[in-house]
Amino acid sequence: ASPPLPRALILPRAALARPGGGAWGEPRPARGPAPAGGRARSSREHAPDARAQARAAVAMDPAEDWLVDSLRLYRDFHAFGLPGATRVLEWAGDTGVFVAGYGSPGKNEILHLTPPLRLSAKENQGLFPERDFKVCHGGFSDRPVFDLKHVPDTRLLVTSGLPGPYLQVWQFGEDSDVVRAASTIAVPEEAEGLWPRLAIFPGAAPAVLHGARLSGLRIVDLQSQKTTFTSGTGDSEALSSLQALDADSFAFCCASGRLGLVDTRRQWAPSECRRPSAAQGAGGGQWCAEVGGQGSGPHVASLCSDGQLRLHDPRDLCHPMSTVQCLVPVPSPKPELLRVTWAPSLDSCLAVSGFDGTIQVYDVSSWGGAGSQAEPLFTHKGHIFLDGYGLGAAPLVTTHTWHPQRPRTLLSAASDASLHVWDWVGPAASC
Amino acid sequence: MPEIRVTPLGAGQDVGRSCILVSIAGKNVMLDCGMHMGYNDDRRFPDFSYITRNGRLTDFLDCVIIRWRRAALAPGERLGLGRAGAPASPTPGAGGWLPHLPGCCRRPWQLTVTQERTRGLVPPGNKATDTWPWGAALPRSLGRSRPPCSIHSGTWLCRWPCDLGTLSTYTLPAPTGMTACSEQALLPPALRLCLRRAPAPAVRRRSLSPVPARRELTHFHLDHCGALPYFSEMVGYDGPIYMTHPTQAICPILLEDYRKIAVDKKGEANFFTSQMIKDCMKKVVAVHLHQTVQVDDELEIKAYYAGHVLGAAMFQIKVGSESVVYTVSGEPVGGGEVGGEAPSSSSSLQGDYNMTPDRHLGAAWIDRCRPNLLITESTYATTIRDSKRCRERDFLKKVHETVERGGKVLIPVFALGRAQELCILLETFWERMNLKAPIYFSTGLTEKANHYYKLFITWTNQKIRKTFVQRNMFEFKHIKAFDRAFADNPGPMTQQPTGRTDSGPPPQVVFATPGMLHAGQSLQIFRKWAGNERNMVKAPLPPRVIMPGYCVQGTVGHKILSGQRKLEMEGRQVLEVKMQVEYMSFSAHADAKGIMQLVGQAEPENVLLVHGEAKKMEFLRQKIEQEFRVSCYMPANGETVVLPTSPSIPVGISLGLLKREMAQGLLPDAKKPRLLHGTLVMKDGSFRLVSSEQALKELGLAEHQLRFTCRVHLRDPRKEQDTAARVCSHLRSVLKDHCVQHLPDGSVTVESILVQAATHSEDPGTKVLLVSWTYQDEELGSYLTALLKKGLPQAPS
Repeated sequence: ASPPLPRALILPRAALARPGGGAWGEPRPARGPAPAGGRARSSREHAPDARAQARAAVAMDPAEDWLVDSLRLYRDFHAFGLPGATRVLEWAGDTGVFVAGYGSPGKNEILHLTPPLRLSAKENQGLFPERDFKVCHGGFSDRPVFDLKHVPDTRLLVTSGLPGPYLQVWQFGEDSDVVRAASTIAVPEEAEGLWPRLAIFPGAAPAVLHGARLSGLRIVDLQSQKTTFTSGTGDSEALSSLQALDADSFAFCCASGRLGLVDTRRQWAPSECRRPSAAQGAGGGQWCAEVGGQGSGPHVASLCSDGQLRLHDPRDLCHPMSTVQCLVPVPSPKPELLRVTWAPSLDSCLAVSGFDGTIQVYDVSSWGGAGSQAEPLFTHKGHIFLDGYGLGAAPLVTTHTWHPQRPRTLLSAASDASLHVWDWVGPAASC
Repeated sequence: MPEIRVTPLGAGQDVGRSCILVSIAGKNVMLDCGMHMGYNDDRRFPDFSYITRNGRLTDFLDCVIIRWRRAALAPGERLGLGRAGAPASPTPGAGGWLPHLPGCCRRPWQLTVTQERTRGLVPPGNKATDTWPWGAALPRSLGRSRPPCSIHSGTWLCRWPCDLGTLSTYTLPAPTGMTACSEQALLPPALRLCLRRAPAPAVRRRSLSPVPARRELTHFHLDHCGALPYFSEMVGYDGPIYMTHPTQAICPILLEDYRKIAVDKKGEANFFTSQMIKDCMKKVVAVHLHQTVQVDDELEIKAYYAGHVLGAAMFQIKVGSESVVYTVSGEPVGGGEVGGEAPSSSSSLQGDYNMTPDRHLGAAWIDRCRPNLLITESTYATTIRDSKRCRERDFLKKVHETVERGGKVLIPVFALGRAQELCILLETFWERMNLKAPIYFSTGLTEKANHYYKLFITWTNQKIRKTFVQRNMFEFKHIKAFDRAFADNPGPMTQQPTGRTDSGPPPQVVFATPGMLHAGQSLQIFRKWAGNERNMVKAPLPPRVIMPGYCVQGTVGHKILSGQRKLEMEGRQVLEVKMQVEYMSFSAHADAKGIMQLVGQAEPENVLLVHGEAKKMEFLRQKIEQEFRVSCYMPANGETVVLPTSPSIPVGISLGLLKREMAQGLLPDAKKPRLLHGTLVMKDGSFRLVSSEQALKELGLAEHQLRFTCRVHLRDPRKEQDTAARVCSHLRSVLKDHCVQHLPDGSVTVESILVQAATHSEDPGTKVLLVSWTYQDEELGSYLTALLKKGLPQAPS
């Protein structure tokens, strides 16, 4: 006798007998409104594959399912279409965000957007119907923009990209809505196929730290265009991220996974971890890193294109405090798009993207030593489902950023030029 | 140089007071005649003295076109609501352009069914010919077409090509006595439906309840037509004024309202009078969509349906081969929040449905008309819109949240349009989530909803259609008609979730009209719920009111949306609002993408932006110029944009000339330009290209020959004959294809060119070459002269 069909295989077929149609149209007799609890969610999210397959078999739209689930999963969820895909989501204060196209040469827009009023409303959010981004400044860049930094408290932007060994400085006007090219900063080093990474030292005399390789690292004063610091090292390892920490120090991460902290007042003598030791399983992937995090605990997170995520204590970069494997498809199809970011106002949370069409949020507080698999706290799948892609043709998330004030709000962009703003329901809010 | 001149008198780098002068091929057209809401003095009207200081404007303007910004009337809400000040919501199926207006249907229409009847249809009396009157609800143009028709349980659904250029669906109430058919049946073509005017106005029109005037509501409609009576009656203009039918119907009401406030309330003198408004409206000519109106021999205008994204019509103005398209993107105006949207814009029912599902606004709403100039509004050009799905998600979330926790939800809506869209959304969601809380639809809405729901069938995708056939159900399953008693207490007898029996008011969702909470049932319910402490105490959650559309200033809706928690009602009663208020805008105005698509589709040669501040339009201007490689202008008020045009002038070619051209043997190649010689004869306003012989003959002229001569000096001490011989041999060596002859008299000829050598009178060492050629050999003659000027090659000694 054949074993009885799993329940999950029968139900959708019954549903098919009554074609429901529409995004919300499929009756779901098996499930009432599910309680929105963290535990319930995680168990549902990793529901047996049989069910998903069954659904696919009856050509049910998983996007519709997801949309219904999203009622529970998100407090706010907005989706926008940008003129072009962006690799940049750079906050200008907390009132504006910059995006910039990285597509074909000549047609890249740099846009300064103000987020919907709803997002910044402290109370009575419901009274703000405004759900749209507004373009307050816009400009055109001849070359694709790979990195863009806003110089705090000024109307200046610095962008980096290919081709050409230079940085472009832009100015957005007070009396016009145009972002104009202001000047360029020459980059002396030769770096085939590599573009300079950027970091800004804000302050009275803002300066930009840039470099494609360790040997080319330098700090240039934005006003006088004078070089105030050079690394002076002959080491030509390629960089993947740069971050200014305070007025005199910065952190770097090389594509190889080499991490370092640099004091700009001294000679080049970074406190660094030269190479993740082979014993720790560094398999030649590309790395990126971010320094951040709140409270006690590790403050440096580095992410590898093979899905490995490490946390380090800045005082001892050589020995990661924990190493986990993220639940992502590896290796990343485009390691340049790897992002790991610390939540600015949530304790020990970080977000990871660049492997597929999702952004994953992890809580690192419970992570132990090495080797374990990490369960994400939340996975944003909107880029896959909202625009009705099948699971195959989903876009790749290009970047994401945390809202500077709202603890659980993230902005994320994908290769299909979509921009999502989402505020997931955290365990505290769901009671 | 022919040119198009555009001068904004209002709305140039400015918002409000729309008025633009266009001069095209000698014709002067004024687009809009709006007023500025922000001013109470002369500045509120455009400065017409720009056109002329003392003459009548009629002498300077060929016509005036008034564009309407997304506003339309629904059948049930036509003038009654309009007069009350609430701009009515539009009608489904027609994107807000249903001519359900008295202006176009003074007499009722009748549907006549001739020939056989079909299964499922039993007309009263069972006669071969029966007529049903159904009041003033059909456009004039219907009489000419025979719509395909289908019938759903007692309701007629007709689709026909109408003004919109697309098939539109109208619901027609079934005549009494007709048996409802149980199934959707498409009538075979044998059944012919004819629409005719009724012989006499026998049908009583639906009475419109008088509602106290609330004048301030209408104001913001006036920025396209507010200055019209001032312009036509006080300044003086007798020419034609063109508008679409809805505009024509609304315009006088708005103007009268406005006049009353200005004169009666504020006591302004020297204002236009009621009579002036009437006189002004007499000059109005109403235009159907896609109807081409010949203003005079050369000037023609055409109104287009601008699609539900732009929400309104646009006008094309054409003289000969030159044209201007004028469009204004839709704006969430009053009840028009549902505006020109087609009923189908709910992406919850998305699929292959309608031409424009949410993600693809790209469906064409203008043909590739390639105008010389596209004038468009830039108000929303800086927006990047949140997706419709997210808006719907938010709506469902808010409703679900409240109902799940036992709260009540009030959704004030207008009778048609958005209401049904939201109902369908909720209905399907309820079905899917297996929710039990009742949804009520206030009276009056129910009936329309049914119609509306059925309308969807013809629009929606196959999947949904099948569902309805299978379920054999057109009625909502979860949505019930509202009884007034429900709002009071303790709630209807329905199943309630999770044992919440009599502990409090049951969770429910109520749709009620009107949408701005200014009168009627929605206000009644609001008053009951807003201040009802009992609700507060017993229900875990205060009731929630979700405003799905814009509210005009002065309404309760507007007050609560601006955060007021204490409302003064009539009788000095103060109502404290304890409800949660949510504002959800569903309006689908065009954003930056929409404007770019419009430009991409129309392919204009130039773009002109109005209705926006200069410093907020610069980026859009650059973007349009970069992307489409067209010039983009944004003139300030009073500033003129001059666009040179190159109109094509048709010229007839005589057959003889063509034949001669053919005789030369070469077949014409479409890809290569070819030179054709002929004589252009301009006579009696026509242009013809004929052979020169024919032209001479026709005009009685004798042929003249034109020769050019030129002297070339050569250092050559030899004799003249020798020089001539050298020239001859030189030319022979260079011009191998030509016949070079040395004549006995010593001169040299090349075709018609004659070269003679003579000794210089003063310097025997210099020879003078006289070169002479005819006009026809100009090219060769010039070449030869240039050649000789370079000198002769050294003679072999």
